Amino acid sequence: MKSLERFGYPVFFVVIAILPFLLDPRWQAVAITFLIFAVVALSQDIILGKAGMFNMGQALFFGMGAYLTAILNAKFGWPMLATIPVAILIPALMGILLAGPIVHLRGDYLLVVTIGFNIVFVQVVQNNLGGVTGGPNGIFGLDAMNLFGIKLASQVSVYYFAFAVLLLTLGIMANLEKSKAGRALHYLREDPLAAESIGINTRVYKIFAFGLGAGIAGLAGTVYATQYAAVSPEAFEFIQSVLFFSIVLVGGSSIPGVLLGVFVMFVLPEIFREFATWRFFIFGFAMILAMVLRPRGIWPATFGKIPKFLIKESNHGA
Amino acid sequence: MAPNNLVLTNVTKRFGGLTAVDELNMTVEEGQIYGVIGPNGAGKTTVFNCITGIYQSEEGSVKWRGEEIRGLTPYKIVDRGIVRTFQTIRLFGQMSVAENIMSGRHIKSQQSWWHGIVPTPGSRRDELENWQKVQEQLEFFNLGEFAATPTNSLPYGIQRRVEMARAMAVDPTLLILDEPAAGLNDKETLALLETIFQIRDKGVTVLLIEHDMDLVMQVTDYLTVINFGKKIAEGTPDEIQKDPAVIEAYLGSEDDDDE
Amino acid sequence: MDIFLQQLANGLTIGSMFALVALGYTMVYGVMKLINFAHGDMVAASAFVGLTIYTQVMGQATSLVAVIAIFLLSAAVMACVGVILERVAYKPLREAPRLSAVVSALGASLVIQNGIMLIWGPRMKIFPELVPQVYWNFGGVVISLIQVLILAISLVLMVSLYLFIEKTRMGAAIRASSIDQDAAKLMGINVNSVITLIFVIGSSLGAVGGLFIGLYYRGITFNMGWQYGLYAFIAAILGGIGNIPGAMLGGMLLGLFNAFIAGYVSSTWADAYTFILLIVILIVRPTGLLGERVAEKV
Repeated sequence: MKSLERFGYPVFFVVIAILPFLLDPRWQAVAITFLIFAVVALSQDIILGKAGMFNMGQALFFGMGAYLTAILNAKFGWPMLATIPVAILIPALMGILLAGPIVHLRGDYLLVVTIGFNIVFVQVVQNNLGGVTGGPNGIFGLDAMNLFGIKLASQVSVYYFAFAVLLLTLGIMANLEKSKAGRALHYLREDPLAAESIGINTRVYKIFAFGLGAGIAGLAGTVYATQYAAVSPEAFEFIQSVLFFSIVLVGGSSIPGVLLGVFVMFVLPEIFREFATWRFFIFGFAMILAMVLRPRGIWPATFGKIPKFLIKESNHGA
Repeated sequence: MAPNNLVLTNVTKRFGGLTAVDELNMTVEEGQIYGVIGPNGAGKTTVFNCITGIYQSEEGSVKWRGEEIRGLTPYKIVDRGIVRTFQTIRLFGQMSVAENIMSGRHIKSQQSWWHGIVPTPGSRRDELENWQKVQEQLEFFNLGEFAATPTNSLPYGIQRRVEMARAMAVDPTLLILDEPAAGLNDKETLALLETIFQIRDKGVTVLLIEHDMDLVMQVTDYLTVINFGKKIAEGTPDEIQKDPAVIEAYLGSEDDDDE
Repeated sequence: MDIFLQQLANGLTIGSMFALVALGYTMVYGVMKLINFAHGDMVAASAFVGLTIYTQVMGQATSLVAVIAIFLLSAAVMACVGVILERVAYKPLREAPRLSAVVSALGASLVIQNGIMLIWGPRMKIFPELVPQVYWNFGGVVISLIQVLILAISLVLMVSLYLFIEKTRMGAAIRASSIDQDAAKLMGINVNSVITLIFVIGSSLGAVGGLFIGLYYRGITFNMGWQYGLYAFIAAILGGIGNIPGAMLGGMLLGLFNAFIAGYVSSTWADAYTFILLIVILIVRPTGLLGERVAEKV
């Protein structure tokens, strides 16, 4: 696995970088969505894969970011760029607020509550709360994103914007693994009692996971709004949360795993669009098979990434 | 400055109709190796759970350095210098030995939550320093060759050492060991004995539960004997050995746990 | 007052259906600690199976005997499907992490849902009028024979299940397996048989629920299982997942709440209010209304 990882990442980045020039517009759009979903799935992985919390409502934060961008731009005339900090911070704050009263719940109860948050959000948005959310048709006609002078007018430019956001997310994920906070998530997932008994304030870190995951998903929402210059409730329904949930589990809680997961759960069905009626029937079987064959995901999390000077010692001691 | 003493006064813990710990008084003084013994089910682990915050006793007080710690959550108690190991080993099984020990450095690390998102030179330095502390524990407990090995693939005796290394990584003032010799063979138990003395030499007070009487008699300075949740005797190992109440409680059964 | 009584009647009916479906979720969860996401789709499937049995097997007969036969045959078919589902999607994952089985369940849900679509088509179908459209009018409050039957039969089934669980040896085996599967095995209980049995019972009850849904709403679609299943799952959670009386209580409560919100507030906000209710209850009672706290031995 290790050499695959060493070459895998550079190859992956090169492929993603040149991809738009190899695809027709329809597939470029699919590729942009792949990048956006990868960001959301990684944010979901922080909560579900690393912190081990049964979150099935990530589309909520994704949608919140998208809708905040849409509302601020379409209804209040904000430039798209200015909506980015809001689309990150407000969902992050909501993540923290919502997580507070529920992180102590047992797994399945937490699951249902997160589903609930998602459904409430969609219903609120559909019912055009405060007259700003646009009702069942959503909000459309958003401006193009203007990144400090670079106007993202073409689909290819939006693609690279999405790619940049993915790179940022990957950077955060990589740093998280090498930090006190990131390790704390692993410890509290493996054994919450042991983690608490070794000095980790598990409650604070669970809430942290939710807040961070929510903020990143919110940013992905802005990219989504940029791609379509519109938002609508269906894109953020509970069924989308199920998708993100499944991606992390089918792919495995690692970066290659999550990226594979997005490919398998989103891109493959797109490839097989012609087989419209049989598509999801077979897909369901594929999901069952995937879990039976690889219960921890196609590319599960690995541990033991410790500084080299500790491992060298183990070779000498042998 | 209050001395590093742990004082239990009238600690009582009930589970529904069962009184697991009954008005227990106990004082562990700084620098001691203090033992809590008693037949199985006497309530010893429950006492430890009350000290470390996993349970809250219904009555009584638990004072550490003069401060009441009864009612605090476990991580806050670790913050005050008390760390424990578990009777059944509770390591982070999938993770390597080094990562397990690193969890002990969590509370000492200076990083904030946001360093998880954005690193700084300070946070990188903090990482390095803490991994170096992990290395110290690996060396002290002779675990160097297993640094990158997942703990759930290691033999029981080594897992026990990892758990102690994890606890010692916190730089505790009081180390609480719950049956540290359980499941160890004679050779391993001897090594454990050595280790406990070395830990005490580092200035750490040790409080332990044990069933292995040979180990208890050799390693402890002072003992409290519990049966049915109540203290039935306290004293030095020599005094306890001769105490009639203690002998009766154990019904003269020779403790042999050579598993 | 009229609205109150009307919604009370509606709520009890809907609640009974939720309860029947919720029982399937809670029984499976109790023993296997698994959320059978495919259950809702099984319920939907039973309506279609019932429809087909009516048209192809019973030749569209609506006599009492025929109707009972339709119910029994549908339940039997769904019980078989349930057992197959368990063998294929869940049994291989008994030792795997819990969430893996959840994903497998989601996959199974897709299979069943799309299976319905492939066999019966994507359009809505009309469920046959197996029960005469008899109505009674109590001063403005309309109650139908269907509602009375649904409520009555559901109660009979729930009471029977309760007695079975509490008073029979097999019921004790189920309860034991719910508390501690390993200990049950050591006591000589054949846990595989227990699991097969709960899928048979759960699927049969769900099948009855599905037929009731067909009778009550008349229009059935291949994807109605998701929504319904979610509500029933919430009902099970509300009552304390794994707790059989809890599922019954949760179902009735949810049905009543839903009916009252639709009647008094608005139907476009019904979902939102239902979930807010759930969230509030869970914050106050984290293991559901009748759920027990499971202590961890340290």
